[in-house]
Amino acid sequence: MSVLGRRIWRAYRKSRLQFLAVALVVMIGVSTYISMNTAYYNLEHSRDVFYREHDFADYYFHVVRAPYQVIKRVQALPGVDMVTGRVQMDLPIIRENGERGTARLTGYHLPMDKEVNRIQLLSGRMFDEDPSGGRIEVLTDPQFAAANRLNPGDSLVVAAQGREVTLAVTGTAGGPEFIYPMKDAASLMPEPENFGIVMAPLNQVQQVLGYSGQINQVLIRVTPGYDPEEVAERVEKILEPYGNLAGYPRKDQLSHAMLNAELEGLQKSASSLPAVFLVLAAIIQYVMLGRMIKTQRREIGILKALGFDRRSIVLHYAAYAMVITVVGAILGIILGIALSSVISKTYAMFFNLPQEIGGINVKAIFFGLLSSLAAGAAAGLGASRGILALNPAESMRSEPPRVSGRIWLERWSRLWKRLDNYWRMSFRTVWRNGWRSFFAMIGVMFAAGMLIIAFFADDSMDHMLNRHFTLEKSYDYLVRFTEPVKEYEILNISRLDGVIKAEPLLEVPVRVSFGGRKEDDVLLGMNPGTTLKTVFNVDGELLAIPEDGVLLGEITAGKLGVKVGDQVTIETRMQSGVSQEASLKVLGINRQMIGSESFVSLKQANKVLRESRIVTAVMLKVDPGKAAGIEKELNRMTGVSSIQSRQRELAGFEKQMGYMIYFVVIMVSFAAILGFAIVYNSSIIGFGERQRELALLKMMGFSDREMGGLLLRETLLQSIPGVLLGLPFGRMMSQWYVAAISTEAFTFPVVVYPRTYIISAIIGVLFVLAAHWFASRGIRHIEPSELLKNND
Amino acid sequence: MENLMDLPAMESGQTLMRLENVSRHFVMGEVIVEALRDVTLEIKAGEILAILGPSGSGKSTLLNIVGGMDRPTTGRVIYAGEDLTRASDERLGRFRRHEVGFVFQFYNLIPDLTAWENVEIAAGLVRSPSSVARVLEEVGLADRADHFPSQLSGGEQQRVSIARAMVKNPRLLLCDEPTGALDHRTGSMVLSLLARVSRSLGSTVVIVTHNTVIGEMADRVIRMRSGTIAEIITNPDPLPPERISW
Ligand SMILES: Nc1ncnc2c1ncn2[C@@H]1O[C@H](COP(=O)(O)OP(=O)(O)OP(=O)(O)O)[C@@H](O)[C@H]1O
Ligand SMILES: [Mg+2]
Repeated sequence: MSVLGRRIWRAYRKSRLQFLAVALVVMIGVSTYISMNTAYYNLEHSRDVFYREHDFADYYFHVVRAPYQVIKRVQALPGVDMVTGRVQMDLPIIRENGERGTARLTGYHLPMDKEVNRIQLLSGRMFDEDPSGGRIEVLTDPQFAAANRLNPGDSLVVAAQGREVTLAVTGTAGGPEFIYPMKDAASLMPEPENFGIVMAPLNQVQQVLGYSGQINQVLIRVTPGYDPEEVAERVEKILEPYGNLAGYPRKDQLSHAMLNAELEGLQKSASSLPAVFLVLAAIIQYVMLGRMIKTQRREIGILKALGFDRRSIVLHYAAYAMVITVVGAILGIILGIALSSVISKTYAMFFNLPQEIGGINVKAIFFGLLSSLAAGAAAGLGASRGILALNPAESMRSEPPRVSGRIWLERWSRLWKRLDNYWRMSFRTVWRNGWRSFFAMIGVMFAAGMLIIAFFADDSMDHMLNRHFTLEKSYDYLVRFTEPVKEYEILNISRLDGVIKAEPLLEVPVRVSFGGRKEDDVLLGMNPGTTLKTVFNVDGELLAIPEDGVLLGEITAGKLGVKVGDQVTIETRMQSGVSQEASLKVLGINRQMIGSESFVSLKQANKVLRESRIVTAVMLKVDPGKAAGIEKELNRMTGVSSIQSRQRELAGFEKQMGYMIYFVVIMVSFAAILGFAIVYNSSIIGFGERQRELALLKMMGFSDREMGGLLLRETLLQSIPGVLLGLPFGRMMSQWYVAAISTEAFTFPVVVYPRTYIISAIIGVLFVLAAHWFASRGIRHIEPSELLKNND
Repeated sequence: MENLMDLPAMESGQTLMRLENVSRHFVMGEVIVEALRDVTLEIKAGEILAILGPSGSGKSTLLNIVGGMDRPTTGRVIYAGEDLTRASDERLGRFRRHEVGFVFQFYNLIPDLTAWENVEIAAGLVRSPSSVARVLEEVGLADRADHFPSQLSGGEQQRVSIARAMVKNPRLLLCDEPTGALDHRTGSMVLSLLARVSRSLGSTVVIVTHNTVIGEMADRVIRMRSGTIAEIITNPDPLPPERISW
């Protein structure tokens, strides 16, 4: 080993913990980068493979009823690469306990290999087109099977064409359109207990639904090079005569849109969060090396005088930084791979992807390594740059004595007079080591800010759920009917024993157009005096349901660029009946904490549909003691398609949020490591610089505790402002973070509860104290006798 | 709370400290450096004791042991009847706190405190210190109390460090080359200050120096040679420091 190499080695051994602390910060940066990007790349890759291998459709068309042969004409169109015709319909599930559920029965033409949106068997065996005994064999999506404890051999009963049909389950399957199986855009999240994809051979489905030789959906893949919109227009011309035509591109397919939004958010956080850590690691390294070089001026001078050239001296110190970086990066790669499997597992809970999402991603590792090395090299070279400026004679002279004098605080003499000498000393020291104190403070600020980031999502969600489930809706049940009914028919329900209040709702799926743009939305018609559902504007102020005109949901309004006062065109898209068009004035823009709906009066909704006094759902407020009986009664009614319980919905949300604990734990530990590393390093450096002063105090008879107290004052003077600044800073970072991951369709308010600030401040102070304690252990080893060796 | 040393009071001339067969070895890898070898010495209350000897002869090592900053490898150190070699680190700390004042060649003032504050911080260590104003007055720096060490000359800094040692009213005032960094006139001023302190407070003053002439102001002079006491000379008629010249 060269002499310089031996020096580096000795330096590491002397400052092991300091070395480790910085390496850990690098580790955090690298591991967040690797884990998030690995999850992103793998998720994206897995999706792409799944889409490709199963020919995920580019365009979807729904009609009421068309002959199967129509797909031959579609196939013949230029630009249509593949086409599949199928029957898909939502059927009520009939269960022994009477609870409602929906099966989305989907028919598959066999053999499947030339079809769009093929499915992949996940467990059990494939359904048979013509099984013995006239059974109907089906596969279900795995979440539905798990939630309903359906195993191969079990059966599932649905209602079709007014009779009960028994389906024999042979296993589970997934498909590219069912990665995130949600019923419709109005559902807030998947409800696997009550909604399932049920896959069966097309001929069977046709028979059950009375669609022999007919289909109600056409899916196409567009030949590369063709404009999908142009191709879709041609297809629509062919399908026009078959009723209620609706066509939408892949980007509007619900599962795809949800997955895409998630990927987009992941990509955005994967590119912003790790950068913060890497920059911080670089700053800490820079400060640490800077101090080291400053205290080693003399040695550097000697090395220079001995004839070592500047380059090798600079490289020598830069190498010190690089070794720290490399160690941190290696730890980071290991941790990153472990974390990416945690993230992937979380995603696997939500998304049905057949391939394993976890696993090593070389690209993520490569870039993670590269960026950390770049940051380390920058810190090393930056810090050792000062060496170049020194000439040997100059650097051998010891550093000019520290200037001492009064600091700004002393002008407030009344305050200053109250401070004892320890505080005065600490204030002056901290003030005079300006840059280092500043870096330490900034570092602690980042660490405390990260604590806020770790917690804020939880607070925000809690706030949203609270507002949504208490203010925005206060009904106990939302009962939907299989088809629109006359308003007076809900009397059957409102007269049930225990129903305190019943308010009607008319839900109209619509397409809203404005300025050449179109968006799908749901119009909710309700009476202006409705109390069980409340509408607020963007500022949280109550909005009244207008007699005429529409209150447009914020997201739809945003996508269309609509402002209050604009006139929008509305096109209804009910399951049955002719599509109607109307022009409505936007009287307000409403914001909902969860989901997005638009509101009109019940009258207006009827007017748009050219109907009178029809409703599709009723909201109920019930006597809690009689809720169970009412639910049973409702389940028995034939015209009821679904019963949504606010309580259960909320519980479902809270359960889904459980996974956030991983995120919180990881972020809090990262923040603690960061804070620890910064305070520890800063204290160790300060400690090292003041050996002589401390030896003097020890000689004068100060106890180790008293000296520790003195150092603690200095640490606190830098860290407490850091912690305090970190709290608002964390809130700001949260705001940036939300802004960064927000999309047109997804955003949420940043809410930080006072309790969270207090907890964060406490945790912040704890890691500061822990780091201080570690750093000041060396006090015990200070030898006062060293003082008499008169070296100055 | 604060635990005083609580040692018996002493008449001038009585033995304040006894070193019995004290040796101090430093183990440096293979080599053992014998910095002190079998030193036996009595330090009397109220005397001025000068320790002379060439560089490396063990003067500072001896002073460290006397001041409770270091422990002998073998031998005993008895202070006012108490065996310091058996005392805990904490007790030794209290010994330094309440009984010992130090003055160094390079002053060792705390750069972030003013002259006043440097003295005050030491005063805070003991239960009944002298007044800070009075000791600063005594060393002639009452008007420089608000200055920081970097704003004071070497001699002034040394006077602050004497004031800092004095303010505790220590029974033992230890000085390692107190004039080593000073010119003649300032050095002589510092020495007369030390002599005055010794007389007025009744403190025992131990001065380590290269400078033979300083011995002339001491009651006794110890000559060290390679870790041992070569001779002890009693000075029946010490000169006042102003009259010494070097
Ligand atoms: N901590 C130590 N480790 C090793 N050797 C030491 C140590 N302290 C002192 N020595 C050695 O002990 C011997 C006596 O040192 P000491 O400092 O007491 O000398 P001194 O008489 O004060 O010299 P000077 O007049 O130069 O200050 C020297 O040889 C020195 O090298
Ligand atoms: Mg010496």
